[in-house]
Amino acid sequence: MSYLEYQVKYVPSGLRKVLYLHWPLILLVTAVAAIGVLMLTSVAGGDMSRWAEPQMVRFGLGFTLMIAAAMIPLWFWRNMAGVAYAVALVLLILVEFFGVAGKGAVRWIDIGFMQLQPSELMKIAIVMVLAAYYDWLPLDRTSRPLWLIPPLVLILVPVALVLRQPDLGTALLLLTGGGAMMFLAGVHWAYFATLIGGGVAAVVAVFESRGTPWQLLQDYQYRRIDTFLNPENDPLGAGYHITQAKIALGSGGVTGKGFMQGTQSRLNFLPEKHTDFIFNTLAEEFGFLGGITLLILYGLIIFFCIVTALRQSARFAQLMILGVAMTFFLYFAINMAMVMGLAPVVGVPLPLVSYGGSAMLVLLMAFGLVQSAHVHRPR
Amino acid sequence: MIRRPLRPLARILRARAEGGNPDAIEAENKRLRHEEMRDRDRARAEGRLVVLGAMFFLAFASIGGRMGVLAASEAAEPTASAGGNPVIATRADIVDRNGRILATNLDTHSLYVHPREVVDAEAAKAGLAEIFPEMTPEELDGLFDTDRAFRWVRTEISPEQMQAVFEIGEPGLLFGPREMRLYPNGPVAAHILGGTKYGEQWVDMAEIEGTAGVEKHFDAYLRDPANEGAPLMLSIDLTVQSAVEEVLAGGMMLMNAKGASAVLMDAQTGEILSMVSLPDFDPNNRPVATMGDRADSPIFNRALQGLYELGSVFKIFPVAQALELGLVGPETMIDTQGPMRIGGFPIRDFRNYGPQLSTTDVIVKSSNIGTARLAIQIGAERQREFLRNLGLLEPTPVEMVEATTARPQFPADRNWGEASIGTISYGHGISSSPVHLAQAYATIVNGGTRVEATLLRRTGPVPGERVISERVSAIMRQMLRLVVSADHGTASFAEVPGYRVGGKTGTADKPDARGRYYDDKVIATFASVFPADDPQYVLVVSLDEPVETSGDLPRRTAGWTAVPVAAEIIRRAAPLLGLRPDMDSLRPTGVTLTAD
Repeated sequence: MSYLEYQVKYVPSGLRKVLYLHWPLILLVTAVAAIGVLMLTSVAGGDMSRWAEPQMVRFGLGFTLMIAAAMIPLWFWRNMAGVAYAVALVLLILVEFFGVAGKGAVRWIDIGFMQLQPSELMKIAIVMVLAAYYDWLPLDRTSRPLWLIPPLVLILVPVALVLRQPDLGTALLLLTGGGAMMFLAGVHWAYFATLIGGGVAAVVAVFESRGTPWQLLQDYQYRRIDTFLNPENDPLGAGYHITQAKIALGSGGVTGKGFMQGTQSRLNFLPEKHTDFIFNTLAEEFGFLGGITLLILYGLIIFFCIVTALRQSARFAQLMILGVAMTFFLYFAINMAMVMGLAPVVGVPLPLVSYGGSAMLVLLMAFGLVQSAHVHRPR
Repeated sequence: MIRRPLRPLARILRARAEGGNPDAIEAENKRLRHEEMRDRDRARAEGRLVVLGAMFFLAFASIGGRMGVLAASEAAEPTASAGGNPVIATRADIVDRNGRILATNLDTHSLYVHPREVVDAEAAKAGLAEIFPEMTPEELDGLFDTDRAFRWVRTEISPEQMQAVFEIGEPGLLFGPREMRLYPNGPVAAHILGGTKYGEQWVDMAEIEGTAGVEKHFDAYLRDPANEGAPLMLSIDLTVQSAVEEVLAGGMMLMNAKGASAVLMDAQTGEILSMVSLPDFDPNNRPVATMGDRADSPIFNRALQGLYELGSVFKIFPVAQALELGLVGPETMIDTQGPMRIGGFPIRDFRNYGPQLSTTDVIVKSSNIGTARLAIQIGAERQREFLRNLGLLEPTPVEMVEATTARPQFPADRNWGEASIGTISYGHGISSSPVHLAQAYATIVNGGTRVEATLLRRTGPVPGERVISERVSAIMRQMLRLVVSADHGTASFAEVPGYRVGGKTGTADKPDARGRYYDDKVIATFASVFPADDPQYVLVVSLDEPVETSGDLPRRTAGWTAVPVAAEIIRRAAPLLGLRPDMDSLRPTGVTLTAD
């Protein structure tokens, strides 16, 4: 938005901004977080203090951040995009050296009051930096091969760093999210078609060559891929999560067993019951209706984001909002698909519901950016 | 992309000619171009958004649909397909002929420790010492030595012990499920069942393997998962077995014997209904082989493994063979003038029976000289053949591992001279087990067909090859009956009213380690058949070193020791076997029933 627009059109200022916040979106986000707190209480067997209370504290902190971010004009955030990306990248590199290990991976940095997961920070930073890049780049250069190099570097460097942790889920999320940003910015579809076609061809080649004298991978690598793709074949090993999740969903039925009545999640069948697999608890205790309600809430959040994006005239705002929506979508779509056995198990939390501070704060911060765009839209 | 020029020469020239400003044309064209670009971008952005929206919709639809499908599905526990080692299924039960449990499995727990996960070793040691007082401090220290990641504490613990260990609250003490073999009847049929031990042991299960008796013989069958649910049915009758054991134990005590054995066999099928060896043991806590004489150990099965010179019980074999060969008839008089010498070896009778006895009386009075004379007529070749046909020269086919080791002892062919012919005819110089004897008696009395002993339930008689004719078998039964019923028969104590017992006694001096015979140590044996006119069961009772002391002099002969015990066994077991006594013989004399 140009200076001129600021002068000609009305942009709310001061405390009046509160009136122009996108309240339905705030309500939806809060509702989803409330479901999360409810589920964390149930998973802990009614013990609020174990996971629910810290989660509430974080939500409160994140909520404040969100409102604060919404009060700051969007141009500030656009200018901050590069800085945010640089900070996230530095933190990711620091994880390499000073990271705290947990569950076989080094993902966290201890910053005193909490353990920060820089890869979560990177998810939003990459959206910001790519939106800023394509805002800056003249439209006719969008598809020039030379001008594809900077965004690809911006995406692939953090992806490589995250893969080293190792955290396949987040790396996948960064890659897909960044790719989607480029797609939305209008990079020619032929690139994507080539990439997807090449990828499919590579996968087909890998599988077709199996058993032939020129096979591309070792036998054990194929077996690992098999287990990754069909965990049901190994119900007590790699497929354990999924089998238990299916039991939870199946036993929940349509209406579920009722709050705190779930057995699967409460009886410690699932190691990640309060993080990546919290959807099981919801599905078991509130059944199909509970699950579909959460899905609809997520859908509405996406819907409002897209509507907001369509009403923006500034390119940065449009791209940034759609990028946030895309990231959010990837979170819950991958999580739910993996829990329900539609996708292989990669560590992706259920946004705003799973226990975890970094993801919660970062997501609320991202919604703060969306709010900022919404508030400062000239009208 | 074909670009429209911003300053098309034709229009500019025309505009100049008309005096217009050509810059306006450029400005307008620029505006048009920008609008075009904006429209194209908008269209592209909309297209991209539509693609994105379609993707969102697809994702929502598939996730929602999947949720519905899963919610509608039945919750099913996963079943791990058994790869690698087949899990050893529950060991099959062993039951008696009526389906009563002889051996079964009990779910229990093992206790083990992961020393490196122990939180408070001292408290755990103190707790364990209280629960298992038999554990020494060194043993306890060893358990919690963190050199090793795993140690067994106990392979089987009771539920009470398990609860007590739970209450120690030590996370390093862990339980594993396992099965243990249980013999609910204790020592009843102990020798038959044998025993089990743990083979391979894992924390979540343990392999049970048979170590003796039918448990070992049928080990593969019992642990074959294909037979799951199908118990192994033996020919044993639990109630009869129990009664025989009880009576025999009492008799052994009364007769001051150091050991005793009894075999009760179906005379037609060879099924062993009861096989007892005393002293016995509890298979739930099978003793290890003790030091000293193996034959005196409780785990030694005298009935099956004990090879003894059984004495006069053998006399019916030469007599039956002589009758079969037509050498004599039942009333043929036989020279019994003693003393007799064959091969430089004197043969005497227990007392002098006079110059001659009929063939029947040779059995009834048990004349060594009479049977020896018959045997001499038969000759070594035919005698050996006959004994072989009776199964007395080879191990019994009983389905127990111990049976194969019980190989009868007898002279080699070249040593089977006249002296051997004579002594073997009355049961010396040949040793065999009570089961051998029962088998041979069953063959003689059942009509003359070969009987093979078995521990498995049979549905009907298995026709064996004919050894003697029906006629001779009937004569032998009469003779055996006379031994009991005649006034001066050697087994008159065996008379059990109503059951028409027939039988033959045998009292054999025991040899010492150097092969010389003791004066005061005998094996007293009574081999019987009942009812004698309808041969259904054969019972062999053998007492080791019995002494009956109620008279002035200690009496050791079978007639005074084994016979009364056998009679008591028949008295108790016959009703259990479903035999109805013959009412005529039970009718009190001198009383007239008015209803007749």
